[in-house]
Amino acid sequence: MLRHVLAASLSLAISGGAFAAETGVGNPAGMAPSAPQSAPGVPARPVLNQADRLFIRELTIGGAAEVQNGQLAAQRGGADLVKEFGRDMVADHSKANDQLAKIARADNVAPPNQLDTEHRAARVMLEGASGSGFDLAYLRGQVTDHQKTAQLLEWEIGSGENAQLKALAANLLPVVFRHLERARGLAEQLAVQAAAPPSRQPVPPSRSR
Amino acid sequence: MRVSRWITGLTAAGLAAALIPVPAIADSLPPSASYRSLPTIPFETVKANDEAEKADVMRRQEAVLNERYDLSDRPIPGVMMSGGRKPVQGGVRVKLPPGVTWDSLAQMSPDEIRARGLLPKGFLPLPHVKQATGGQVFPQQEIDEIRRQEGRNLQRFDVDFDLPDRFIPEFPPPIFLATHPELGDVSQGKLLTIKNYYALMVGILTPVQIEGLRLLLTPFPQEEFNQTEDRKSADQSMGVACLDCHANFHTNAAFHQTPDVRPQAARFRLDTVSLRGMFNQQIHGSKRSLRSVEDFTQFEQRTAYFNGDHVSAQRKGVNLPDRFDQVPMMAQMQNVIDFPPAPKLDPTGRLDPTKANAEELAGEKVFLGKGRCAECHIPQTSFLDNNMHDLKLERFYQIGYTQNGLVMLPDGPIKTFTLRGIKDSPPYMHDGRLLTLADTVEFFNLALGLKLTQDEKNSLVAYMLAL
Repeated sequence: MLRHVLAASLSLAISGGAFAAETGVGNPAGMAPSAPQSAPGVPARPVLNQADRLFIRELTIGGAAEVQNGQLAAQRGGADLVKEFGRDMVADHSKANDQLAKIARADNVAPPNQLDTEHRAARVMLEGASGSGFDLAYLRGQVTDHQKTAQLLEWEIGSGENAQLKALAANLLPVVFRHLERARGLAEQLAVQAAAPPSRQPVPPSRSR
Repeated sequence: MRVSRWITGLTAAGLAAALIPVPAIADSLPPSASYRSLPTIPFETVKANDEAEKADVMRRQEAVLNERYDLSDRPIPGVMMSGGRKPVQGGVRVKLPPGVTWDSLAQMSPDEIRARGLLPKGFLPLPHVKQATGGQVFPQQEIDEIRRQEGRNLQRFDVDFDLPDRFIPEFPPPIFLATHPELGDVSQGKLLTIKNYYALMVGILTPVQIEGLRLLLTPFPQEEFNQTEDRKSADQSMGVACLDCHANFHTNAAFHQTPDVRPQAARFRLDTVSLRGMFNQQIHGSKRSLRSVEDFTQFEQRTAYFNGDHVSAQRKGVNLPDRFDQVPMMAQMQNVIDFPPAPKLDPTGRLDPTKANAEELAGEKVFLGKGRCAECHIPQTSFLDNNMHDLKLERFYQIGYTQNGLVMLPDGPIKTFTLRGIKDSPPYMHDGRLLTLADTVEFFNLALGLKLTQDEKNSLVAYMLAL
């Protein structure tokens, strides 16, 4: 149920929410001196500035890690809510990853095909954990990752040149904030449970919308 | 490099096996998310591009404004700003979404308004006219007058001022001195500049104040107005002076972006604050809560005026006024700027019932009671509480959407602004998102869940006009 709500909200965001994609034209300050233009100040596709290229790299790695770790959470999560969260991350980020890959392909950029050191290390740590230890480690990682992703998307909206990438960033940002809020809520909830003496207390209902 | 990364990776794996939190060892966020990049394109090309884009940029912002606000000319009959030069605009100007009224909206919970996307767009953070570039933008009257008096250029080639003239303060604003209440407005109807300040103020100010005034009127390089290729003025600019925005120590509604937030897309707009009543203000800056106007005055020149960037400022020519000599003089000058007279207020900031009319008195009652205004805007302390507060407007909308390059994010705690002389200071709120006092009443009616009646709302406006 929750999954469907989230999937619906994601597709709403991507199909154009209230302000979707109103990122304006590219920021010419970041253009290369000889960048081809379709009109003065308007870059001709497929122009990518340095920010766009770095954005593709970072978002590809982050998105791939989200899917991999989400799959892991769906299998190994101790609490059902964590498994569900993991499955939602797989669904939402797979969609975003596909969109990013499509833009990158159209612009002849080869995105990285493996995780970076930080995400690899996090992955190794998660693989060695289980039960409530896994849940907390996964969710705390999710909080950090979504915080960084939000800043990364905002950075692309202001510094990027490529209109499609900027629109993608703008469309994903509200979803990332919803993920962040949900991960924070779950982490808090599980931390309280972990600290409580063992009892038959049921898992409180999810706070997520 | 590669080897060291592998070693780091192996170490991390070893740590991870022991379930120790993994330190951030790989890539951090990009530096240009915090720091200003050096320009890579020749100035001439940037200028040509910006000029070619300008019409589109202005059209886009005009669409934002028209979507949010009713911009028509509807002055309140018989109400002028303190200098008597400009009528005060009235009515609620924020547009409602289809299918609701102000009253029906006020009956809904924040959750419902958020879920149904019903928060009026004019209540959301107002984007800079060109968010990705940002920087100071001056109203045309200021640009023209500085050009006429000083031959200095405040005109940007990439953007113009966006709000219609009727929604910004009268120009030039009157100047009231705490040291000379008996004189009234001492501006002689002129804009104080480096060219005329001495003749206007000698015999009225002290030597210390005059020197402070000179410094506040002296231009220094700034992020968009300087001598480098990273500027938005056609000529190599002499820079900007404090009073270019705080015209006659009030405000001309020049705007900028907050220095305190990065990345650029998250930097909210800043409407210039009036310096009237500085003597009673204990914290300074919307976000920074700097504890003295000395700190503020000194530091803003350190970071190229409101950019929170000492690195970029260093390259463009930074001004470091002497803390023990120059800064106190600048501060002491600012601290003798008074509010405009409010003949209906008694010494403690309460209405004098022999002078105020029934509607104003009714408004004061709402202000102090049901409206909860006075919990922060305390009459006795110049309608300030010298605190920052978080209105948590994000209860009413889904964060993260982008409008004209600005990401809609929670404002967080913002300094309480004074309401003395408030009719002189449109637009309202730290970013100028509200155009009239009636807008501010609807905003707080919703934000604080007040459920005010129309009569109560009208009386609040009447009361604020008397402050």
